[in-house]
Amino acid sequence: MAARERDDTGGQDVLRRAGDASVLILTSLADGSKHGYALIQDIKGFAGLQLGPGTLYGALDRLERMGLIEALPAEDRRQPYRITAAGVVALRAHLDSIERVTSVGRLRLGLGGI
Amino acid sequence: MPGSRSMRLVESALRCYPQRWRSRHGDEAAEIASLLIRDGTPAHSIAWSYLLGAARTRLVTGPRRRLGAAAGALLLAVGSLGVPLALLSSSAPANAASVVHSRTAHPRPADPLTPAARAMTRAGHPVARRAARLPRARRRRRGAAY
Repeated sequence: MAARERDDTGGQDVLRRAGDASVLILTSLADGSKHGYALIQDIKGFAGLQLGPGTLYGALDRLERMGLIEALPAEDRRQPYRITAAGVVALRAHLDSIERVTSVGRLRLGLGGI
Repeated sequence: MPGSRSMRLVESALRCYPQRWRSRHGDEAAEIASLLIRDGTPAHSIAWSYLLGAARTRLVTGPRRRLGAAAGALLLAVGSLGVPLALLSSSAPANAASVVHSRTAHPRPADPLTPAARAMTRAGHPVARRAARLPRARRRRRGAAY
Protein backbone atom coordinates (compact mmCIF):
# COMPACT_ATOMS: atom_id res chain seq x y z
CA MET A 1 0.00 0.00 0.00
CA ALA A 2 1.30 3.43 -0.85
CA ALA A 3 2.66 5.51 2.00
CA ARG A 4 0.22 8.31 1.26
CA GLU A 5 -2.63 5.96 2.15
CA ARG A 6 -1.21 5.45 5.60
CA ASP A 7 -3.08 7.44 8.22
CA ASP A 8 -1.70 9.24 11.28
CA THR A 9 -2.61 6.44 13.64
CA GLY A 10 -0.39 3.99 11.81
CA GLY A 11 -3.32 2.06 10.36
CA GLN A 12 -3.85 1.71 6.64
CA ASP A 13 -7.00 2.86 4.96
CA VAL A 14 -7.20 -0.06 2.59
CA LEU A 15 -10.84 0.76 1.93
CA ARG A 16 -10.03 4.12 0.38
CA ARG A 17 -10.11 2.62 -3.07
CA ALA A 18 -12.38 -0.31 -2.35
CA GLY A 19 -15.55 1.62 -3.13
CA ASP A 20 -18.53 2.74 -1.14
CA ALA A 21 -20.26 -0.63 -1.42
CA SER A 22 -17.37 -2.29 0.41
CA VAL A 23 -17.58 0.23 3.26
CA LEU A 24 -21.34 -0.20 3.50
CA ILE A 25 -21.02 -3.98 3.59
CA LEU A 26 -18.33 -3.91 6.26
CA THR A 27 -20.42 -1.48 8.29
CA SER A 28 -23.41 -3.77 7.97
CA LEU A 29 -21.38 -6.81 8.99
CA ALA A 30 -19.87 -4.98 11.97
CA ASP A 31 -22.76 -6.04 14.20
CA GLY A 32 -22.95 -9.66 13.08
CA SER A 33 -22.92 -12.03 10.13
CA LYS A 34 -25.46 -11.60 7.33
CA HIS A 35 -26.28 -13.12 3.96
CA GLY A 36 -26.79 -11.22 0.73
CA TYR A 37 -30.44 -10.26 0.98
CA ALA A 38 -30.09 -9.28 4.67
CA LEU A 39 -27.13 -7.09 3.72
CA ILE A 40 -29.15 -5.31 1.05
CA GLN A 41 -32.02 -4.71 3.46
CA ASP A 42 -29.76 -3.55 6.29
CA ILE A 43 -27.83 -1.13 4.07
CA LYS A 44 -31.10 0.23 2.73
CA GLY A 45 -32.16 0.82 6.33
CA PHE A 46 -29.11 2.70 7.61
CA ALA A 47 -27.77 4.32 4.41
CA GLY A 48 -30.97 4.84 2.48
CA LEU A 49 -29.73 3.26 -0.72
CA GLN A 50 -30.33 -0.12 -2.26
CA LEU A 51 -27.26 -1.93 -3.50
CA GLY A 52 -27.78 -3.71 -6.77
CA PRO A 53 -27.21 -7.44 -6.38
CA GLY A 54 -24.43 -7.38 -8.97
CA THR A 55 -22.68 -4.62 -7.05
CA LEU A 56 -23.17 -6.53 -3.82
CA TYR A 57 -21.56 -9.72 -5.11
CA GLY A 58 -18.70 -7.81 -6.70
CA ALA A 59 -17.95 -6.10 -3.41
CA LEU A 60 -18.32 -9.34 -1.43
CA ASP A 61 -15.85 -11.11 -3.71
CA ARG A 62 -13.40 -8.22 -3.46
CA LEU A 63 -13.64 -8.01 0.33
CA GLU A 64 -13.20 -11.75 0.64
CA ARG A 65 -10.09 -11.64 -1.57
CA MET A 66 -8.73 -8.84 0.63
CA GLY A 67 -9.34 -10.99 3.71
CA LEU A 68 -11.68 -8.41 5.25
CA ILE A 69 -14.70 -10.73 5.34
CA GLU A 70 -15.09 -14.49 5.30
CA ALA A 71 -17.84 -16.79 4.16
CA LEU A 72 -19.54 -18.94 6.77
CA PRO A 73 -21.03 -22.35 6.02
CA ALA A 74 -24.01 -21.94 3.71
CA GLU A 75 -27.48 -22.11 5.19
CA ASP A 76 -29.73 -23.68 2.57
CA ARG A 77 -29.13 -21.47 -0.51
CA ARG A 78 -27.92 -18.50 1.50
CA GLN A 79 -24.26 -17.76 2.07
CA PRO A 80 -23.64 -15.73 5.23
CA TYR A 81 -20.53 -13.60 5.64
CA ARG A 82 -18.82 -12.16 8.66
CA ILE A 83 -16.25 -9.46 9.14
CA THR A 84 -12.71 -10.62 10.00
CA ALA A 85 -10.29 -9.02 12.46
CA ALA A 86 -8.50 -7.41 9.52
CA GLY A 87 -11.86 -6.12 8.32
CA VAL A 88 -12.53 -4.50 11.70
CA VAL A 89 -9.12 -2.78 11.59
CA ALA A 90 -9.68 -1.62 8.01
CA LEU A 91 -13.17 -0.32 8.74
CA ARG A 92 -11.95 1.52 11.84
CA ALA A 93 -9.10 3.15 9.88
CA HIS A 94 -11.47 4.17 7.11
CA LEU A 95 -14.06 5.61 9.50
CA ASP A 96 -11.32 7.58 11.30
CA SER A 97 -10.22 8.97 7.97
CA ILE A 98 -13.76 9.93 7.01
CA GLU A 99 -14.29 11.49 10.40
CA ARG A 100 -11.25 13.74 10.00
CA VAL A 101 -12.43 14.86 6.57
CA THR A 102 -15.94 15.40 7.91
CA SER A 103 -14.65 17.54 10.78
CA VAL A 104 -12.58 19.72 8.50
CA GLY A 105 -15.44 20.04 6.04
CA ARG A 106 -17.90 21.07 8.72
CA LEU A 107 -15.47 23.56 10.21
CA ARG A 108 -14.80 25.13 6.86
CA LEU A 109 -18.51 25.38 6.14
CA GLY A 110 -19.00 27.08 9.48
CA LEU A 111 -21.05 24.21 10.82
CA GLY A 112 -18.72 23.43 13.72
CA GLY A 113 -16.84 20.20 14.37
CA ILE A 114 -18.49 16.94 15.31
CA MET B 1 -44.16 -15.15 -6.68
CA PRO B 2 -42.26 -13.15 -9.28
CA GLY B 3 -43.31 -13.58 -12.86
CA SER B 4 -41.48 -16.27 -14.77
CA ARG B 5 -40.68 -13.76 -17.50
CA SER B 6 -38.89 -11.51 -14.99
CA MET B 7 -36.97 -14.46 -13.61
CA ARG B 8 -36.02 -15.59 -17.09
CA LEU B 9 -34.55 -12.15 -17.67
CA VAL B 10 -32.56 -12.35 -14.45
CA GLU B 11 -31.44 -15.91 -15.16
CA SER B 12 -30.22 -14.84 -18.57
CA ALA B 13 -28.12 -12.17 -16.90
CA LEU B 14 -26.82 -14.68 -14.36
CA ARG B 15 -25.69 -16.95 -17.18
CA CYS B 16 -23.21 -14.23 -18.15
CA TYR B 17 -21.17 -14.91 -15.02
CA PRO B 18 -18.32 -17.41 -15.19
CA GLN B 19 -19.25 -21.01 -14.36
CA ARG B 20 -17.18 -20.93 -11.18
CA TRP B 21 -19.09 -17.91 -9.91
CA ARG B 22 -22.45 -19.46 -10.81
CA SER B 23 -21.68 -22.66 -9.00
CA ARG B 24 -20.90 -20.71 -5.85
CA HIS B 25 -23.39 -17.83 -5.90
CA GLY B 26 -25.88 -18.76 -8.61
CA ASP B 27 -28.65 -20.20 -6.43
CA GLU B 28 -28.45 -17.44 -3.86
CA ALA B 29 -28.28 -14.76 -6.56
CA ALA B 30 -31.48 -16.10 -8.12
CA GLU B 31 -33.14 -16.17 -4.73
CA ILE B 32 -32.09 -12.59 -3.97
CA ALA B 33 -33.45 -11.51 -7.35
CA SER B 34 -36.71 -13.26 -6.60
CA LEU B 35 -36.98 -11.54 -3.20
CA LEU B 36 -36.10 -8.13 -4.63
CA ILE B 37 -38.70 -8.49 -7.40
CA ARG B 38 -41.23 -9.46 -4.77
CA ASP B 39 -40.28 -6.27 -2.87
CA GLY B 40 -41.02 -4.21 -5.96
CA THR B 41 -37.62 -3.79 -7.56
CA PRO B 42 -37.96 -3.86 -11.36
CA ALA B 43 -36.60 -7.06 -12.86
CA HIS B 44 -34.76 -5.19 -15.59
CA SER B 45 -32.74 -3.18 -13.05
CA ILE B 46 -31.78 -6.40 -11.24
CA ALA B 47 -30.82 -8.02 -14.53
CA TRP B 48 -28.81 -4.94 -15.49
CA SER B 49 -27.00 -5.00 -12.16
CA TYR B 50 -26.12 -8.66 -12.66
CA LEU B 51 -24.99 -7.97 -16.22
CA LEU B 52 -22.64 -5.23 -15.05
CA GLY B 53 -21.45 -7.47 -12.23
CA ALA B 54 -20.77 -10.28 -14.68
CA ALA B 55 -18.76 -7.94 -16.90
CA ARG B 56 -16.73 -6.74 -13.93
CA THR B 57 -16.18 -10.30 -12.73
CA ARG B 58 -14.93 -11.36 -16.13
CA LEU B 59 -12.70 -8.29 -16.37
CA VAL B 60 -11.22 -8.86 -12.92
CA THR B 61 -10.76 -12.62 -12.90
CA GLY B 62 -10.48 -13.40 -16.60
CA PRO B 63 -7.52 -11.28 -17.64
CA ARG B 64 -5.37 -12.55 -14.76
CA ARG B 65 -5.65 -16.10 -15.98
CA ARG B 66 -5.29 -15.00 -19.56
CA LEU B 67 -2.31 -12.87 -18.55
CA GLY B 68 -0.51 -15.94 -17.27
CA ALA B 69 -1.22 -17.80 -20.48
CA ALA B 70 -0.16 -14.77 -22.52
CA ALA B 71 3.06 -14.44 -20.53
CA GLY B 72 3.82 -18.11 -21.14
CA ALA B 73 3.08 -17.77 -24.83
CA LEU B 74 5.25 -14.65 -24.98
CA LEU B 75 8.14 -16.46 -23.33
CA LEU B 76 7.78 -19.32 -25.80
CA ALA B 77 7.61 -16.90 -28.69
CA VAL B 78 10.68 -15.02 -27.49
CA GLY B 79 12.49 -18.31 -27.01
CA SER B 80 11.56 -19.60 -30.44
CA LEU B 81 12.32 -16.26 -32.08
CA GLY B 82 15.55 -15.83 -30.19
CA VAL B 83 17.45 -18.40 -32.20
CA PRO B 84 16.54 -17.15 -35.69
CA LEU B 85 16.96 -13.52 -34.62
CA ALA B 86 20.37 -14.30 -33.21
CA LEU B 87 21.27 -16.00 -36.46
CA LEU B 88 19.98 -13.05 -38.44
CA SER B 89 21.86 -10.54 -36.35
CA SER B 90 25.08 -12.50 -36.75
CA SER B 91 24.72 -12.80 -40.51
CA ALA B 92 26.09 -10.07 -42.71
CA PRO B 93 23.63 -9.33 -45.51
CA ALA B 94 22.87 -5.94 -44.00
CA ASN B 95 26.52 -5.12 -44.04
CA ALA B 96 27.31 -6.82 -47.31
CA ALA B 97 26.97 -3.60 -49.28
CA SER B 98 29.23 -1.80 -46.91
CA VAL B 99 32.72 -1.50 -48.26
CA VAL B 100 34.08 -0.95 -44.80
CA HIS B 101 32.83 -4.28 -43.49
CA SER B 102 33.74 -6.19 -46.58
CA ARG B 103 37.30 -5.09 -46.03
CA THR B 104 37.49 -6.10 -42.42
CA ALA B 105 40.07 -8.61 -41.42
CA HIS B 106 37.41 -10.93 -39.95
CA PRO B 107 34.63 -11.46 -42.47
CA ARG B 108 31.25 -12.53 -41.09
CA PRO B 109 30.82 -16.29 -41.33
CA ALA B 110 27.26 -16.23 -42.64
CA ASP B 111 27.83 -13.79 -45.49
CA PRO B 112 25.42 -14.98 -48.21
CA LEU B 113 27.19 -13.16 -51.02
CA THR B 114 29.10 -15.22 -53.47
CA PRO B 115 32.80 -14.39 -53.72
CA ALA B 116 32.20 -12.99 -57.19
CA ALA B 117 29.43 -10.69 -55.99
CA ARG B 118 31.56 -9.61 -53.07
CA ALA B 119 34.40 -8.78 -55.43
CA MET B 120 32.01 -6.80 -57.64
CA THR B 121 30.70 -4.97 -54.58
CA ARG B 122 34.20 -4.01 -53.61
CA ALA B 123 34.62 -2.71 -57.13
CA GLY B 124 31.52 -0.56 -56.66
CA HIS B 125 29.49 -2.20 -59.45
CA PRO B 126 25.88 -0.90 -59.26
CA VAL B 127 24.35 -4.27 -60.17
CA ALA B 128 26.32 -5.95 -57.47
CA ARG B 129 25.21 -3.32 -54.97
CA ARG B 130 21.57 -4.02 -55.83
CA ALA B 131 22.21 -7.72 -55.53
CA ALA B 132 23.86 -7.17 -52.20
CA ARG B 133 20.88 -5.19 -50.96
CA LEU B 134 18.43 -7.93 -51.88
CA PRO B 135 19.06 -10.21 -48.91
CA ARG B 136 18.74 -7.20 -46.62
CA ALA B 137 15.26 -6.45 -47.97
CA ARG B 138 14.35 -10.09 -47.64
CA ARG B 139 15.52 -10.03 -44.09
CA ARG B 140 13.37 -6.97 -43.40
CA ARG B 141 10.33 -8.71 -44.83
CA ARG B 142 11.03 -11.73 -42.70
CA GLY B 143 11.40 -9.54 -39.62
CA ALA B 144 8.10 -7.80 -40.34
CA ALA B 145 6.35 -11.14 -40.60
CA TYR B 146 7.42 -11.94 -37.05
